[in-house]
Amino acid sequence: MSKTSIYLKESATGKLVKAALLDEIADAHLAMWVASWCSEMERHCAGRILQNKPEDHHWDWKAKAAHWRPLLGYHSFAIVCQGELQGLMMANDLQSARLPIQFGKALVYVEYLATAPWNRSEVQMPPRFSGVGTTFISAAIELSRTIGYRGRIGLHALPMAESFYLEKCKMDALGRDTACQSLMYFELTEEKAELFRQDGRNR
Amino acid sequence: MKEHDKRTMTLNLTAREMAVLEELTAKRGLNKTAVMRLALRLLQAVDSKVQMGHKLIVENEQSHEKSELVIL
Repeated sequence: MSKTSIYLKESATGKLVKAALLDEIADAHLAMWVASWCSEMERHCAGRILQNKPEDHHWDWKAKAAHWRPLLGYHSFAIVCQGELQGLMMANDLQSARLPIQFGKALVYVEYLATAPWNRSEVQMPPRFSGVGTTFISAAIELSRTIGYRGRIGLHALPMAESFYLEKCKMDALGRDTACQSLMYFELTEEKAELFRQDGRNR
Repeated sequence: MKEHDKRTMTLNLTAREMAVLEELTAKRGLNKTAVMRLALRLLQAVDSKVQMGHKLIVENEQSHEKSELVIL
């Protein structure tokens, strides 16, 4: 497992805080997920109707990890800051692009991406840290470049996250995918991935 | 990203297999090594699903005709 130093922005102060991006979700991260993330999510969801719960409240990262860990085509990432888990992502490198300009070319597909409950404005105001989502998208782009996919990535977005991928990540929306719960499908071309990387240096 | 320790092997392919590999490199935008590694990862992912009792089904998007791919 390798560790990269990154910075998250503390929302309350605007200060950048040093954090670690790890290119594997280890048992220790799953233990953190159970100990703090799950309990915070349960506390937030208690008494709420389904529509008012975070869209990913039912994601069981332990079960997901058990499935993807033995597989070569799956890659997982975790962000830890101040001793606490701040986000988790799982991606695979088995899928191909749908955008006409890069149709059929291999890409990294982001299967699951989530920031910790306390980093979400719907759970806590102000959220504790921002920057988890953009850090993970950067990591997916770097993975794509490392394995020869030139930065191409794709994903299906949960409805609440669509604006993030469209506006912040400048991904192309290809419409709702009836084969995937009618979620909006997004892709990033290698050119846009490069722009995202350049923007990241200025972020 | 995390596995830098690589092993080397020689792969002998027939002319037809090499032609298919070259076609896939062009189509997928990858080099030959990357295509072979992708094939390995895909086979492992499919094999894992089949071992769990899943079936591999392909569907024609227009006609919605489905057929099962049998993995040996």
